[in-house]
Amino acid sequence: MSQELPRLSTGISGLDAVLAGGLVKGASYIVQGQPGAGKTIFSNQIAFSCVAKGYKVLYVTLLAETHERLFQALGTIEFFDRSRLGISISYVSVFQTLRDKGLSDVVSLIREEISRQGATLLVFDGLLNARDRGDSALDVKTFIAEVQSQAAFVGCTVLFLTSTRIVEDSPEHTMVDGVIELHNELVGVRSVRRLQVKKSRGSASLGGYHQFEITKNGVVVYPRMEAEFAHSSSPDTYEPRSIDSGTEGLDSLLGGGLPQGSVTLVFGPSGCGKTSLGLNFLGRASAHEPALHFGFYETPARLRSKAQAIGIDLETPLNSGALELLWAPMTENLLDKLGHRLLEAVKARRVRRLLIDGLGGFERAAIHPPRLVEFFAALTNELRGLGVTALATWELRDLFGPTVTAPGPGISSLLDNLVMLRHVEVASRYKRTLAILKVRDGKFEQVIHEIEFGRNGLFVAAPLGAVSGATTGLASPSDRTVQSQS
Amino acid sequence: MPLIVIAEDEFLLADMLAAMLEDAGYEVASAAHGRDALTLVRERRPQLVITDFMMPLMTGLELAQAIRSENDLSTIPIMLVSGAQGSIGRANPDMFDLVLDKPYTENSLLAAVQNLIPPNSV
Repeated sequence: MSQELPRLSTGISGLDAVLAGGLVKGASYIVQGQPGAGKTIFSNQIAFSCVAKGYKVLYVTLLAETHERLFQALGTIEFFDRSRLGISISYVSVFQTLRDKGLSDVVSLIREEISRQGATLLVFDGLLNARDRGDSALDVKTFIAEVQSQAAFVGCTVLFLTSTRIVEDSPEHTMVDGVIELHNELVGVRSVRRLQVKKSRGSASLGGYHQFEITKNGVVVYPRMEAEFAHSSSPDTYEPRSIDSGTEGLDSLLGGGLPQGSVTLVFGPSGCGKTSLGLNFLGRASAHEPALHFGFYETPARLRSKAQAIGIDLETPLNSGALELLWAPMTENLLDKLGHRLLEAVKARRVRRLLIDGLGGFERAAIHPPRLVEFFAALTNELRGLGVTALATWELRDLFGPTVTAPGPGISSLLDNLVMLRHVEVASRYKRTLAILKVRDGKFEQVIHEIEFGRNGLFVAAPLGAVSGATTGLASPSDRTVQSQS
Repeated sequence: MPLIVIAEDEFLLADMLAAMLEDAGYEVASAAHGRDALTLVRERRPQLVITDFMMPLMTGLELAQAIRSENDLSTIPIMLVSGAQGSIGRANPDMFDLVLDKPYTENSLLAAVQNLIPPNSV
């Protein structure tokens, strides 16, 4: 029978999920990364999280930098609590001991200090200096082995910080229980912080790179969505039921409404009514069906103004709390941060109606676009598991023309329903049209319909007259008569 | 030449402090933690002890308590030089004759030292 390892929560948002529950109590980890990668904030945040829980922490340095400079830098971050210094967390330098007496005396000092302080966590910053001091690789191996065995004996977890990249077959790597690597890399013109658990003895940690950022609250890790939600966290309790799309005339085309717990892609060129269709959907928000707008384009103020202009009442659900507007400007976004922010907002209010306006915002945030398929698979599975009915918009590049660039290959097939909006030129007039291309497991109207704006937003009007080529936006008269199937 | 014992684990601070005091005409003996400092104090009977707070094996407060508990050492003036634990030092006036907050200037340090070492001992 498998046994759960006792864990020490890191206090870093997202990191415990990556580490399959936190650091293993009494285990030793190497935290490595170039200068500026975030090791110091990372380890101090874990340290102060322990302090906040009433544990004692010993922070041993072999660095030339003074502790006061370190405290000044940490003083800008929320978790740092100067009043605990010297009481529940002690920063001590063993540089002189190493210089004057050698590694074995440092080991003795640390052993005594762990016990004297009753430390639950030991952070040892400056493994590189210890390496330089060791006469051979064996010395450093012995040093790590001794420190970690002494710490483990009293249940103390150890973080060895180093700015060098310790290769996989080095003695240090083989000795410790885990290796966490922090990266700060240039991708194009932007820099991106990523974390990787390179070794995790006895734990199924989430592999690969996980994005993180350093905020005024410290490190925030965004576990890779497709790794964290490889399987939906909620059981799929699918029940065939339709919910009101909010757009007059659309539900009958969809075969009764939007299938509950489905994801519908509404795609079309700019100005064809995608957001308006979505606002109709959100306008039906209620206490029973809370709604969320997760958008990249319009600010909440502009969105409210737009809704008001086309006759959709968002103010009532906004005022009652049935609707929330979340805006993520299309600037430097992190794909997984967006995904987690969306899911948190959905969970926080048990959202049932979601408009993602639009999927392109996620695509732009992806620094490794090939993973978008897996990302959207995880996101949509999670939304379905949470019972969310979602509309997502996708903007076509060309206003007119035969080319329809659906979201990347593989993504469209993850979506349950496809609704295409187009401008169609017929007899010197532009008409907005709507066509249902797919409703998963359901019958739907296959005739293209015109859509128009009425006093209360967008509505489905009559079937489009007999033309051909409407889906290209460039229609020509057809002599066949159109008959609605609905 | 009056002797000052410094207890400071951070070598940069210890070296800088020692240089300032030696330039001002004092003799200095340094220890990297409280326990070594206590040994030095017993051996050398300094006119002043300047100590950091957070140090391995024995903190500045523990060092002061040890010195005060030994009859023949208990009157040696002790100055706490600390960035974060000045308040702990001030809460223990019977342990520390003076608390100097980090960062400090050379002038403020030397003024504090002169205040604790009577001129007739120079």
